[in-house]
Amino acid sequence: MKLAAAYSYLKTELNQIEKTLNETIHAKDPILREASQQLLKAGGKRIRPVFVLLAGSFGNYDFERLKTVAVSLELIHMASLVHDDVIDEAELRRGKPTVKATWDNRIAMYTGDYIFARSLEYLTGIDNPRAHRILSETVVELCIGELKQMEEKYNIDQSIRNYLRRIKRKTALLISSSSQLGAVASGATKEYETALTKYGYYVGMSYQIIDDILDFTSSSSALGKPAGGDLLQGNITLPVFFAMEDVAFKNNLRKVLAAEENLDPKDIQPFIDYIKQSDAIDRAYQVSEMYLNKAYQALQVLPDTKAKQTLTTIAKYIGKRKN
Amino acid sequence: MDSISLELQLRRVRLALETQISHPYLEKYIPKPVIDNDKLMILTSLMNTTDLPESKKDHYIITTMLVQIALDTHDLVANQSAEQESLQYKKKRQLTVLAGDYYSGLYYYLLSKLDDVAMIHVLASAIKEINELKMVAYYNKPDTIQDWMRTVKQIESLLIQRVAEQIQGTEINTLSEEWLLMTRLTKEKQHVLSSGQSLLLDVMTRHELAQNPKKQAVQLMEGAIQKSMQKMETAVNQLPLKFHQLTTYVHDLLNEYSRKNTKVVEEG
Repeated sequence: MKLAAAYSYLKTELNQIEKTLNETIHAKDPILREASQQLLKAGGKRIRPVFVLLAGSFGNYDFERLKTVAVSLELIHMASLVHDDVIDEAELRRGKPTVKATWDNRIAMYTGDYIFARSLEYLTGIDNPRAHRILSETVVELCIGELKQMEEKYNIDQSIRNYLRRIKRKTALLISSSSQLGAVASGATKEYETALTKYGYYVGMSYQIIDDILDFTSSSSALGKPAGGDLLQGNITLPVFFAMEDVAFKNNLRKVLAAEENLDPKDIQPFIDYIKQSDAIDRAYQVSEMYLNKAYQALQVLPDTKAKQTLTTIAKYIGKRKN
Repeated sequence: MDSISLELQLRRVRLALETQISHPYLEKYIPKPVIDNDKLMILTSLMNTTDLPESKKDHYIITTMLVQIALDTHDLVANQSAEQESLQYKKKRQLTVLAGDYYSGLYYYLLSKLDDVAMIHVLASAIKEINELKMVAYYNKPDTIQDWMRTVKQIESLLIQRVAEQIQGTEINTLSEEWLLMTRLTKEKQHVLSSGQSLLLDVMTRHELAQNPKKQAVQLMEGAIQKSMQKMETAVNQLPLKFHQLTTYVHDLLNEYSRKNTKVVEEG
């Protein structure tokens, strides 16, 4: 089953969100407009808006308010992707040319800044200072997470705690904010808000761990980039931590990673092969599963509704996804 | 407030701003952001004309300056292709992107802590407009160089103008427009003379607007700087009394510029 099938009944609302996303970044300048909409046209799961809508159903469901939050969150995510492509020198995103590839770095910087500004400006449309407090903390943490990722590259002496904190900032916080903000915007009870925040956090952690596993186990064609790319870029992910329990593996990896940016994919290949053959992948899956179980537990306090069912289905999908 | 108190206030705000943007890892690889003294002075004087509590004044100055620093930082992200980049340069580019995002996040974070949604709106809206204008200035062919300079004037002053509107201090707008254009063109001129690079030169070359772009760029900028100084003189004399700090500062600044120019002319 495709993930989108789980929330297909939200199609009308999601279409309206898509329309508003488009309108919100309709810049006056034609190039800025085209650049802003380029990523939007490339599509995407719109998982953050989905979480906002689903979480919003546990309070007073007001679509217009929820739409404002959903659009803002998706725009923040998009702005960060446009800038990430400058950082990673990425030519393609979701199979389409990136803004920086179509134009240049400078246009990508202006586009990302423009989208981010529109996101905040749009969110000021709802009178809810707390929503801004939650989102602003997330935005700053997201930036710190990216900086930490750069800082911790090629460092094999870091702990799993570093990794977990990194993926929390990089991925889990924006997802947990999505479900929290859905709850806040709809005035859900504190108990429901906490449950939905936790759910988003655990699902986000699980999602990123699986992403990191797939970087080793998926084919290059499925990933759209070479397999093992994370390790090649010096990112120490969960399977690597488990594999490094083998002292010989760790010592050899230390020697190879000393080359840092000059690393050759050929030098990394034996480590990828080892990780795939060892129990590192299974153990990483177990950690992902543990987070998913916590996500299911968090949902227990919520009433049995269609939205709750969908949140469960999404979590299940995340646990089983193959790309 | 006398000039000593103003000096102390500027120092206090600058220190607070430096603390906000301080980041050990970033500082290891990229230069510390430049804090624009003119903008800091304009904002501080502007805030001092209001009845806002001191802490709120500081917050508004710091958050507006953070936005400026974020925008300026992203202007430093170069267009060089990956193949031409050294590894050190690559890291610098990556961190410059992240630094700008971080400073931008900080302004939002600080204002949200004060529940100041209105100011978040003002600053976000200004960033939106500035990025629209940057596209015009850097990528569209201007009808005339004067049009281009008008756009640059807007880019430089729009953020402060929007803040001035929010706190009902728009009397400052004409002065700040001319002042910030003059400062920007002075920097651009220095770039042309020292490295042969400037955005105006870029625009003139890219759109084939002059036979001898370098010479013409310098002439055009010198003319525009003089014109801006004259307009500043008029604008500063029309400022209400509440801007007395700024009046004194700008008179000193203009005298200093005239003295330097006279010296350059005398030395030939």
